[in-house]
Amino acid sequence: MIFATVMFWAVALALVASSLAVVLTPNLFHAVLYLAAALVATAVVFLLLDAAFLFAVQLLLYAGGIVTVMVFAIMLTERLTGQRLTQTNRHVVNGAVMSFAVFVGVAGFIMRSNATAAAPASADRTLDIARAIVGPFAVTFELLGVLLVAALLGAVYFARTED
Amino acid sequence: MSVPPAVSMFIAAFILLNAIVGVVTYITLLERKFAARMQSRIGPYYVGWPHGWLQPIADAVKLMIKEDIVPAPADRAVYNLAPLVFLVPCMLVFATIPFAPGLGVADLNIGVLFFLAVSALEIVGLFMGGWGSNNKYALLSAMRAVNQIISYDLPFIFAALVPVLLTGSMQMSAIVGAQHGLAGWFVLYPVIGQLAFVAYLIAALAAENRVPFDILEAESELIAGFRVEYSGMKFALIQLGEYAHMLGTSFLGALLFLGGWLGPGPAWLGPIWFLLKAVFVFLILTWVRWSFVRIRVDQILAISWKLLLPATVVLLLATGFVVAAGGGRGL
Repeated sequence: MIFATVMFWAVALALVASSLAVVLTPNLFHAVLYLAAALVATAVVFLLLDAAFLFAVQLLLYAGGIVTVMVFAIMLTERLTGQRLTQTNRHVVNGAVMSFAVFVGVAGFIMRSNATAAAPASADRTLDIARAIVGPFAVTFELLGVLLVAALLGAVYFARTED
Repeated sequence: MSVPPAVSMFIAAFILLNAIVGVVTYITLLERKFAARMQSRIGPYYVGWPHGWLQPIADAVKLMIKEDIVPAPADRAVYNLAPLVFLVPCMLVFATIPFAPGLGVADLNIGVLFFLAVSALEIVGLFMGGWGSNNKYALLSAMRAVNQIISYDLPFIFAALVPVLLTGSMQMSAIVGAQHGLAGWFVLYPVIGQLAFVAYLIAALAAENRVPFDILEAESELIAGFRVEYSGMKFALIQLGEYAHMLGTSFLGALLFLGGWLGPGPAWLGPIWFLLKAVFVFLILTWVRWSFVRIRVDQILAISWKLLLPATVVLLLATGFVVAAGGGRGL
């Protein structure tokens, strides 16, 4: 139990630090690397919460997929423009105030809803997720798929060359 | 005296890690010997006469005592971290592989998914190396790597999911358990099994960046790709990670399609059977590597998006129908 608590705080600290680094570092490539670190830390938080499936999906889709695509975009644009991209932000203070307000709001909401985190009854949570997706949430799941296809088509539409 | 689970797991991981490093160093000798035979050569011979049994040890010592060079314009932190970030996922994939019933670090119930997810992280170390070196060859290589990984991750996952679907479980030990009996191995499953195995091998070749999919190291044009600036121990770590990943993919292939530790003889032969099957898969990949030429970037992308991806999707769908027609297993 102590081990889990220590692990949680260590991972949480790493998560917060790398998330801050994502928005504060001027080097865009470093920002993406910090983002990868933050996503991996999030995955480890899932693992500590006994959600192994979410851990794997988080790594596969975000740390493996999204970060790869972002790096691809940065590399391509740097090559095309031939100059280092830098991240500038004139709204650091405003951003800090806003994010602190959101944090207080969410934290207050969580603390007032006195739902204790009870572990689900079933031992195999992956199976529960699978049953939920093809069972009660089948329509939602399919609608999400349609939404993503629409987004993909929209991206293709905007990216097409005029000819 | 009972050992707490965390400690026993740590000990198991320590033993496994050292065993993997040992096997990986010797698998390089195996590859060199195999390649030499294919080209009517003998290969390493004099170091550890006869047949160069000490060659991998000599190589490792040589790499360790080499000078460690960091290029002046390199992004130091990224450059130095890259080999580690590359190595860790390659080693972590072995965590869920059971080498015999109950013999492994952690037989997670999402075993196959864990393997796929963790090996997807390898690319982060790869482009850190390519970018951090601040060398145009390394950068080109990293770009090609990203391109290729995006294309071949999905077919690899879909091919690996066919046995998962046939078993109805992502737990590695359950997948092996489902392959009991005569002709029970999934590679012998009518039509679906063979097609999935071939798709797995092709996608594995691409995922490991081997010939004919080695455009990112392409020694004739990019020298050695993203690792061109690395020397000494860092180069050794990258090599180790690469071969460990290859070995891991071979183990996964042997587990998914060739029945893992199942084989004739007493139960203690299980790990040996498993190792032999993994080496067999490794040798198939090596055989392809030393017989084919490198193919062009556009051909690589076309193979993935126009052939392999649709084929594996159809295969997965067909497997779903077969499982559904058979009443479904697992669930």
